Amino acid sequence: MGLRKLATKLADYYERLENGNASQINSADIEKVLKKLRVRASKLDAELSASKDNEKRSRLERKIAIAQQHIKHAEWLLKEIG
Amino acid sequence: MTRYYVPVSIGLLIFAFWLKPEFQEIAAGVAIFLFGMLMLEDGFKLLGGGILERLLQNATRSIPRSLLFGGLATTLLQSSSLVSVITISFLSAGLISLTGGIGVIFGANIGTTTGAWLVAGFGLKVNIAAYAMPMIALSIILVFQKSKRLRGLGYVLAGLGFLFLGIHHMKEGFEAFKEQIDLTRFALPGIVGLLVYTLIGAAATVIMQSSHATMVLVITALASNQISYENAIALAIGANIGTTITAILAALSANFQGKRVAAAHLIFNVTTAAVALILIVPMTQSVDWVSARIGIASEDYALKLAVFHTVFNVLGVALMLPWMQKLVAVLERQIVEPTADVSRPHFLTEAVEQFPQTLETALRKEVFHLYQNAEELILHGLNLHRHQIYDAPSVAYVVRHSRKPTDLDLEERYERRVKTLYAAIVDYTSRASSGRFDPETTDRIYALRDVASSIVQAVKSVKHLRKNVLRYTTRNQGTVTELYDSLRTEIARIILEIHKLSVADPEIRSALWLEQERAQIEEDARATTRRIDSLIRSHELNPVAATSFMNDSVYAYGAMRELIQAARTYFVEQDKAMAEVEQLLSLDDEVLGKDDNREDVLRP
Repeated sequence: MGLRKLATKLADYYERLENGNASQINSADIEKVLKKLRVRASKLDAELSASKDNEKRSRLERKIAIAQQHIKHAEWLLKEIG
Repeated sequence: MTRYYVPVSIGLLIFAFWLKPEFQEIAAGVAIFLFGMLMLEDGFKLLGGGILERLLQNATRSIPRSLLFGGLATTLLQSSSLVSVITISFLSAGLISLTGGIGVIFGANIGTTTGAWLVAGFGLKVNIAAYAMPMIALSIILVFQKSKRLRGLGYVLAGLGFLFLGIHHMKEGFEAFKEQIDLTRFALPGIVGLLVYTLIGAAATVIMQSSHATMVLVITALASNQISYENAIALAIGANIGTTITAILAALSANFQGKRVAAAHLIFNVTTAAVALILIVPMTQSVDWVSARIGIASEDYALKLAVFHTVFNVLGVALMLPWMQKLVAVLERQIVEPTADVSRPHFLTEAVEQFPQTLETALRKEVFHLYQNAEELILHGLNLHRHQIYDAPSVAYVVRHSRKPTDLDLEERYERRVKTLYAAIVDYTSRASSGRFDPETTDRIYALRDVASSIVQAVKSVKHLRKNVLRYTTRNQGTVTELYDSLRTEIARIILEIHKLSVADPEIRSALWLEQERAQIEEDARATTRRIDSLIRSHELNPVAATSFMNDSVYAYGAMRELIQAARTYFVEQDKAMAEVEQLLSLDDEVLGKDDNREDVLRP
């Protein structure tokens, strides 16, 4: 999902928040999620470094790509909310 | 029993009203008092919004805290029975420990003594009807408000008003009764009196299901000189035995833990009563001594009864506290935890149904129980075993070397271990729709039902796969075996990832991790389709096997998607704000299915 879609989701979130249908989020909440995502990404990186099996390496690379995408989105969200 | 209880009680009351019309006021006083207790309970439920339940979890971390909580909660609610029922419900849901639960019950026995003080010290000394009337009148304005808190406040105010009014009518009733009949004629001296009146006190409490109501009745009768002080003491001891009936009734529908705490309640109250009966002389002497020290007149028997009630219950707690761990050990030995029958619900019992928090927690645990059964069934259906997958350095290697068919009647196992649990989960979640719970809790409960539904769908998909798994993977048949092994491997990998998430520290895990698996599933599904096309074109796979495999791969990827969906909902952040962040960051299905995850650029 691109940042454009995330921006749309964020706009929708603000609308829900205004109507009292969402919980207020702050930078600390995003940082906590970001920390979890970074822990996961580091773990996958370590697994990739230790793996010699090509099939396993390509699986891990795909997982890392998704993890990085989540991290990038979380960082963008942090800037927007913070 | 219940068939006769109602008509006999009504018949006896009507007969008593006919015999002595003055008795009507006493009976009405008791009824108004009990009605006030019900309103007080409803009021605190509305006002607290589950605060009592939330406090209970934190208050049972140590024995002193449990005692304090039991005492304070009972003082506030003026009902030890209600506190016992909540405790049993929480124990059954596994939210508190047995030691903590017993501590609360002990504390409730001390808290219940405040009722006697309230009536003897305040209710009889002042004209409480003068307070009751404005309280009831004002409460009705609040009861009709939309705000939950205001309504709660209204019910509490009305409850207190009715409690006061009930006491007033009991007092008035006994005064009027005194002019007609002298009940002291039935006073029994000595040990016989002690035993008979103890039994009467217990029976009265069982009928009214409230020791508090019995105590108020006894104190008002005592203040009107309708019973002797000695007999009033015996009635108070009996009330403490009779009050255990509510907990026993609640424990009938509870699990083994609920039964243990109800048994502890009975043991505590009966032992305390026995000790009090044996040591009645030194106890009454100590009551005289305490009363003299705190300035209670020697003839003020109502207040002296309140002192006795307090001394008696505090003594009981002091006597039983050193034996608490032994009591827990005995209860654990005598009321044995039933051998886990995986085909029956472990956590969903009628006792947990009463409070949103206990139902939600029990439901969460039951859904996980369902998942564990389903996980075993799925792996066995694929001729795999849980321990092999969990410990495997390479899942693909384990799958390639698992050719032995598992001895399994999948249909029977599905009916017994999955369907029965799923039916219980659906049954209990449907009870949440009655409007008893707030919308947020109801949504979370429905989400758990959806998790259960996804798990069941995944098992059903594997049921479809089973025939060809047996046909093509129990011996190596070349390409077709390789294809089925790849499906088995992918499902096993998903189960392994869900297992890793379930055992990960909640402080570091995130349901977003599963999106990496979801993306992998879509990638694998596309790769499989490409491979099948190529194999058919090159005639390496015959059309019959290819058709079977294409059908089966739909079931297999369906099962994987359902499992991921179930785990994502189950492991969603409990903190609302963080759950909102995860929701914002979650990737769309279509994005996860794309060949590449290239970003479009948008500057913040």
